[in-house]
Amino acid sequence: MKPILNRKPIIALAGNPNVGKTTLFNALTGSRQTVGNWPGVTVEHKSGSYLYKGNEYEVIDLPGIYSLSGGTPDELVARNFILNEKPDLILNIVDASNLERNLYLTVQLMELGAPILMCLSMADIAEKNGLWIDLDHLSKHLGFEVCKVVLNKRFDSDDLKQRIAENLAHPPTPAQIFYDDIVEIHLDKIWKEILKQKNVPEATQEKPLAKDLYDQVQKTRWQALKLIEKDPEYTRLISDKQRLAVAKEICAIEKHRGQAAPNVIADDRYGFIRGLIKDVVKRKNPGIRTFSDKVDRILLSRYLGLPVFFFVMYLVFWIAVRASKPFINWIEAGLSWLFVDQVRALLEMLSAPHWLSFFFSDAVGGGIATIGTFIPPIFFIYISLSIMEDSGYMARAAFIADKFMRRIGLPGKAFIPLLVGFGCTVPAIMATRTLESPRDRVFASLLTPFMSCGAKLPVYTFLAMIFFPQRADIVIFGLYIFGILMALFTGLMLKKTVFKTEPGNFVMELPNYHIPTFNGIMLHTWFRLKDFVFRASRTIIMAIIIINLLSIVMVPNYFSQGREKVSVLELGGRVITPVMSPLGIDKENWAASVALITGLFAKEAIVGTMQSLYTGSELSIDSNRDEEPLAGLSANIHRAFANWQAALAFLIFVTLYSPCVAALAMLFNEHGLGWTIYSFVYLNILAWVIAMVFYQSFLFSASSIYWLITGLVILGLIYFNLSLIGKRHERTT
Amino acid sequence: MNARRKKKQWRCRLAQNSGQLSYKQGDCVPMTNLNQGQSGTVYSNNDLHTIERGIYIGAKITILRNETEEPNLIVAVGDSRYVLDRRIAQKIDVRID
Repeated sequence: MKPILNRKPIIALAGNPNVGKTTLFNALTGSRQTVGNWPGVTVEHKSGSYLYKGNEYEVIDLPGIYSLSGGTPDELVARNFILNEKPDLILNIVDASNLERNLYLTVQLMELGAPILMCLSMADIAEKNGLWIDLDHLSKHLGFEVCKVVLNKRFDSDDLKQRIAENLAHPPTPAQIFYDDIVEIHLDKIWKEILKQKNVPEATQEKPLAKDLYDQVQKTRWQALKLIEKDPEYTRLISDKQRLAVAKEICAIEKHRGQAAPNVIADDRYGFIRGLIKDVVKRKNPGIRTFSDKVDRILLSRYLGLPVFFFVMYLVFWIAVRASKPFINWIEAGLSWLFVDQVRALLEMLSAPHWLSFFFSDAVGGGIATIGTFIPPIFFIYISLSIMEDSGYMARAAFIADKFMRRIGLPGKAFIPLLVGFGCTVPAIMATRTLESPRDRVFASLLTPFMSCGAKLPVYTFLAMIFFPQRADIVIFGLYIFGILMALFTGLMLKKTVFKTEPGNFVMELPNYHIPTFNGIMLHTWFRLKDFVFRASRTIIMAIIIINLLSIVMVPNYFSQGREKVSVLELGGRVITPVMSPLGIDKENWAASVALITGLFAKEAIVGTMQSLYTGSELSIDSNRDEEPLAGLSANIHRAFANWQAALAFLIFVTLYSPCVAALAMLFNEHGLGWTIYSFVYLNILAWVIAMVFYQSFLFSASSIYWLITGLVILGLIYFNLSLIGKRHERTT
Repeated sequence: MNARRKKKQWRCRLAQNSGQLSYKQGDCVPMTNLNQGQSGTVYSNNDLHTIERGIYIGAKITILRNETEEPNLIVAVGDSRYVLDRRIAQKIDVRID
């Protein structure tokens, strides 16, 4: 086949959410994909390419949207891409089982004048629901080709690729949408006003417009429509004089129809769609309850809804935490052997200087091994989330969660990032992007660190096995629950102070239930995981390099009379130890403070630090060399923490204190410096106060009263400070 | 005053859930006042967001779930099923079929 264009043709996939757009994208491009962000916004950008008959085609997966009104970042991104990048073809994926609602976006794409090829997905579900669609008739009305695809079964991508090539060779011109007569009159006036400004000649019967001029005129009609819809982006572009003229026309439309102008346009679009549906769709069983309706009667029922929800959540949690555990050990052992031991052996064989060997094996190699341990829980949590999303249960779970999420001022959808938080805080903060309002995004992000991430589990297990060998599971479960309770406490406090407004209005579609495809889930998971690994690895490796450097840079020890040299890390630990004394960490137990510092870089580093520092000579008070190493280590830790209350206070601190640097970096990326500093400071203070209150209440002494009052005063000050922030926030908004 | 109004709303919802408060065909009421299983035609809606999702004037809707203690309703609009915030549904008037 001859090349169609001088350059690679660009095909944009556009459609509503949950119509199988990503499945089609994966089927077309396979693994030739790149995932990133659209410039300036946190909306996922996916592009890929495929080869067909010797030609390469670029495919852009636009965000799933309901309209091009530009009310959400997703809508703006899609609209601007089509207008500015001018794709050679738009592949409009439409859910055949829900044609009316899906055609609303199609109509808007038609108004843009872009060449379209429509793919009707879920045709099998439409048939089951008793719908029959006359494709030829629909195609005639719309002015472009309409084809059927069944994405869940054996999908013939070659047939679609052939149609794409044909449509690129002969781009179709979509039919024009006409509005109510009065709207058309006023639209025409605004349109002409813009044409005049752009010096585009008007078309006459004797002198028809050339193709590129036609495109320009088509875009101007779209611009005029956007002005009637009071689109701020387009209203900004016109002069004050034109703005006045447009306002006059809008006023006339609103007076005639008794409705706001944007609503008039939306109503009229549906008027066109209703007429079209009557013409091309035949219903065998009108009013029939669908399969999804029947399943929902059980899964969302008053009595079964909540137990099913908790069971599914427990399953996700179990898969993320328990199922990933053996893989963590294997990956850690494998990567440590490869990147730490082997690299060290190689560099020693090459007689490399000690610092170089240390840098590449312990710092860089250790960092890679640490990132490796993140992969299993994140992989499993993403698999679970993909299954939930693709099957259609995710939206139902958000509906059920909404009942209790609203009590802390968050919409139901916010439970998804919180759930992801049990795997890792970094993707959890990323997952807040699914929330529509910026308020909800910030609020949910601030609560995600309270969900004990997978990296905290080794810390809980390590200390619980030493101090509570008989009841370790109860202690671990209790710490998870305690984190959730503190999230509720913080949520209520933030709701009363900073985020006084109600959560965003909840309008969410309940998609039909589907059986997810294996390929779809694996590809979905793979791209999310790849994105996480590459995004987080830079920060984590950097942090681990710094921490390793701090552990070898020696400075004089100001805490000892002998003035022997100690590492910067150890000195830091000794400096903060007095602050930790009300939590039961006495000055000889500085290793615990150092572990907390290393935990800022990666939570599982706490275990590593404790293992290395408590087996050191200083703390091995009477370690027996014949003893098993862990037994010696366990005994040392037992001695360092005076009692089980101190160990539990330490675990409470670990549960609540600042998330790791990777999560802080993500928070900074998403919400800026202010919220990052707030999260860091608030979580550390809260962790200190709660752990201190716990310890002092259990070991009650004369000084405890002083400490408990201090704790209460600090909590009061936090509340007062949050109220001030809230008031300032109210004034600015 | 606010508490009294809330109490009244709550009583109204309770009556509605127990079936004591029922509207007859042709009545024009906020969507939240419809009982589970009742159908209607959208009479007025000023929210562009929901109009764009298909809840336009003249659209046929059926209430699939409306529990007083829940903040949301589940509404069938054509072939779509939506979870709709009670605050939004309150502003949409429906003529009962």
